[in-house]
Amino acid sequence: MDFLSLLDISFFLLVAFGALVGIIFGAIPGMTATMAVAVCLPLTYALGLNHGLALLLGLYVGGISGGMVPAVLLNIPGTPSSITTTFDGYPMAQKGEGERALRVCVIASVIGGLVSAAILFLFAPLLADFSIKFSYVEKFLIILLALSVIASLSSNMLIGIFSGVLGIWLSLIGDYSTTDGGNGKTRLMFDFMEPYLFEGFSLLPVLIGIFGISTILLEAEKGVRSELSSSRMVIGKAAGVLSLFKGRLTNLVRSSFIGTFVGMLPGVGGSAASVLAYTQEKNLARDSSQMGKGAPQGLIASESANNALTGGALIPLLSLGIPGDSTTAVLIGAFTLQGIQVGPLFIPENADTWYVMIVALVFANFVMFFLMFFAIKHIAKVVMVPKHILYPIIVMMCVVGAYAINYGIMFDVWTLLIFGVFGWLIQKIGLEVAPLIIGFILGSQAEVYFVKSLESAGTLSTFFTKSPIAVVLWLLILASVVFSVVMSLKSRAKGRQEVLS
Amino acid sequence: MTISKKTLATVGSAVVLASMTLGTGAAMAQAGELRGNIRVVIGSTSTGADTYQNSSIVTDALAEKLDLNMKVDAVGASSAFRTLDRDSRGNTLMIFHDYAYLGYLYGVEGFSDIFEKYTIGPTVSINPGNAYLVPKDSPYETLDDIIAAVGDGETVRVAIQPGGVSEIGFSALKNAIAIEHPGQEDNLVAVNTGSQSDKNQQLFDDQVDVINGSVQANEQYTRLPEDDQKAMRFVWLTASQDTIEQAPEEGLGQTSREQLLEYVEPNANVTMGDDENFTFDKEFFFIYNKDMDPGIVEQIDEALAEIYEEGEIQETLKASFFTPNFRPSGEASEHLQEKMARYQEIIDNIK
Amino acid sequence: MESDLSNLLSVSVDFETSHLFFPTIINWVMAGLFLVILVTKLIPFLAAVKRGERTLPILGESMDTRRFFGTLVLIVAYFYLMVVVGDLFPYTGYGFLFVSMAFVLLMSLLYLHEWTKKALAIVAVNAVVAPSLAWFVLAKLFTITLP
Repeated sequence: MDFLSLLDISFFLLVAFGALVGIIFGAIPGMTATMAVAVCLPLTYALGLNHGLALLLGLYVGGISGGMVPAVLLNIPGTPSSITTTFDGYPMAQKGEGERALRVCVIASVIGGLVSAAILFLFAPLLADFSIKFSYVEKFLIILLALSVIASLSSNMLIGIFSGVLGIWLSLIGDYSTTDGGNGKTRLMFDFMEPYLFEGFSLLPVLIGIFGISTILLEAEKGVRSELSSSRMVIGKAAGVLSLFKGRLTNLVRSSFIGTFVGMLPGVGGSAASVLAYTQEKNLARDSSQMGKGAPQGLIASESANNALTGGALIPLLSLGIPGDSTTAVLIGAFTLQGIQVGPLFIPENADTWYVMIVALVFANFVMFFLMFFAIKHIAKVVMVPKHILYPIIVMMCVVGAYAINYGIMFDVWTLLIFGVFGWLIQKIGLEVAPLIIGFILGSQAEVYFVKSLESAGTLSTFFTKSPIAVVLWLLILASVVFSVVMSLKSRAKGRQEVLS
Repeated sequence: MTISKKTLATVGSAVVLASMTLGTGAAMAQAGELRGNIRVVIGSTSTGADTYQNSSIVTDALAEKLDLNMKVDAVGASSAFRTLDRDSRGNTLMIFHDYAYLGYLYGVEGFSDIFEKYTIGPTVSINPGNAYLVPKDSPYETLDDIIAAVGDGETVRVAIQPGGVSEIGFSALKNAIAIEHPGQEDNLVAVNTGSQSDKNQQLFDDQVDVINGSVQANEQYTRLPEDDQKAMRFVWLTASQDTIEQAPEEGLGQTSREQLLEYVEPNANVTMGDDENFTFDKEFFFIYNKDMDPGIVEQIDEALAEIYEEGEIQETLKASFFTPNFRPSGEASEHLQEKMARYQEIIDNIK
Repeated sequence: MESDLSNLLSVSVDFETSHLFFPTIINWVMAGLFLVILVTKLIPFLAAVKRGERTLPILGESMDTRRFFGTLVLIVAYFYLMVVVGDLFPYTGYGFLFVSMAFVLLMSLLYLHEWTKKALAIVAVNAVVAPSLAWFVLAKLFTITLP
């Protein structure tokens, strides 16, 4: 065990420091794990490979976890992958259960992170071989499965689906990027917009615009009366968190696996992980009627999945040389900067580094857990900051995040405003935000995989006959759709009964 | 209300005014030289890829030499050009590679003739790794096999990313087939895909016969045992023999320079007609705003010349498998224009 | 029969126009859904509005116009001026720093209901400290490019 000699005290300190900085980045609306890793990348040159990785993995785990904080407390996803955390987290915070919600999130996160680290350690090469069986067709079906949540997530199915399709439409604006194999031509816009919209709207500014800025507009319209609600939000007791996990073991394990699995598929973005886990919990749980209204089970699904993403995304990175999500795409820079090749022979040829990474990953999860678990009480007090102080700061931080996400593009900041107003408008006219945003997140991937599948096969039947995996995915999609139809009929019948009685 | 709105407006505008006076102070520094904070935008959005790596090595050296704050930002091609368009003061510079003019040759939306619209700065290095690979159990042993097979009417599918560095090798191959086996070139089919992972995936899935890749990204795949589904084999490196000969002797991973030389001309030939062979070196170079002070162009040229003179940067570049290749801006512009003319011919030929 | 089916399913995508393939599908789906919503929801709703049973969104609601439009105007000015000021000191982040201070101050004042001395002091301090802190940590420590 040579690698033990590589683990000195500074190694662990770097992991812990990384986790702390990562949490802060993740917790600031608009700043993401990817950004945290990107800004610290140059530091690793001086640190050397193993210590550099310690820092970066700490940042990665911390950054993904930190996203839960604004998601729960402010209804703004701190990172795109904590989008589904807002669905149940914010309703809980409004009921005065912010601290409780955060505790649930932290526990779910650490379990998700550890499960995925274990899977990474034990099965990486095996799973990498499995992941390459997913071609365009299977990836399209996975996106379709995640999209199927739209039907069950919306309060009115017709409006919800329309909102989802609108979200997809918005995501298609811009060029059909050559980096996805498209022809690089723009569509769905006028020529004069091209200088700004060539690459379309970026995900992060759209997200924080719709969630952050439009929330502020809604409040501004009502006159920003903070006093009342914040006294109600004074945090209640957070005891009995563990009991919330009772009977949720399946959910926890399932979501962790889904997170790992989605992370493992190159090209399927990280935010799909929590959406998919949320879908499956909604479909498979015995009682999911409270989901979206403040049910801890939604938090468990979302947070365990997005933390499981970390281990998952490292699988193709370390055993194929291909990043599994945007953060690992930056992480690859740490290896190239040090002249280390990542590829199918990375693990056998760099066994020490491999063990070091696993240790860093596991340790980062523990550090994240302790930092967060004991800081929650204080963090949760954010909601007590008066709104006239809090809101300007949120706008300012959203600006920083939007500007920095693509390394300094002003149009991304204007996107904030455009989608802030747009988000305000759609809520006014009764469209649904959650389906729209899910459509937006998944839309462009759906396009690439759909069109590319047809381009190579030339027939629609390829979606059914490509592989056994495709068939299984179809069954899941079918189940998901049938479920949401049944649920919607049930709730309609129930509504009628209540009206009658 | 205890404080009037008027006071408020005064405070607000005072801040703006104060900042403006400060601004004029900053603008008074000497003309014809880089000053203040410099931002280097690059044509790629990835901080893990070759453009970023190259740019940060060069930018760091430059920042140290000139004692300035310089920062590389991976904003992507379209945003990089736009940012550059807006700043003629020299606070924004750009580094990109051959895609800058290849995109224009292939008619990719958003690209214009860089030689007309911008000033071309010095070239700094080459990434010699652009490669084409086949599965290890492929019936095609060499590039000649592929050309011959296509000439015989066999369909060969090649996974590329459309419109750039990835496509130019494909175009040259098609052109060579058109010259050696006229009328058969349409049997070489481009399969347009995106990232390296998509290209690999297409190969594993038997959707294509050949993929575009790179020495850096695919070397380990070439060392897998033949019975591994993922095993690949190099058939062609587009770099010139001269470029590969400058690579470190130990090559990359466990593939030595000598082994790499087997896949470049004259061992793997792609003719351009008239006894001329096609080669493609992916070169990185600076691009400036057309109206930027010529003094700055000179200043950077000189600084880089000194840096390359000192020799340290060569070692850093070589350690990352890049070939140092400094040409001052005038020479670089001429060289790149020549290069563009050659490739224009190929692309016109196969239209 | 079988060949009919496979003919029916076969689709050829022309690469040159492939950027329009998926958007076209989405356009049609969206138009179809909109039509259904128009008939089943929107027309009945508008009819109800006409009868005076329900009110139109936005237009028919009361709002704090000063704060709502004040917010919009402030944000637009903020984004715009940030670039203008930032352009004076290229890539130092001063544009962000100075304009943020003004913005945070003005927005806080806009939202503040009771202008007491204490509240104003907090607002003023916050307007200076928060942007400075953000600027220092991000632009200086992490060298993130800011306007």
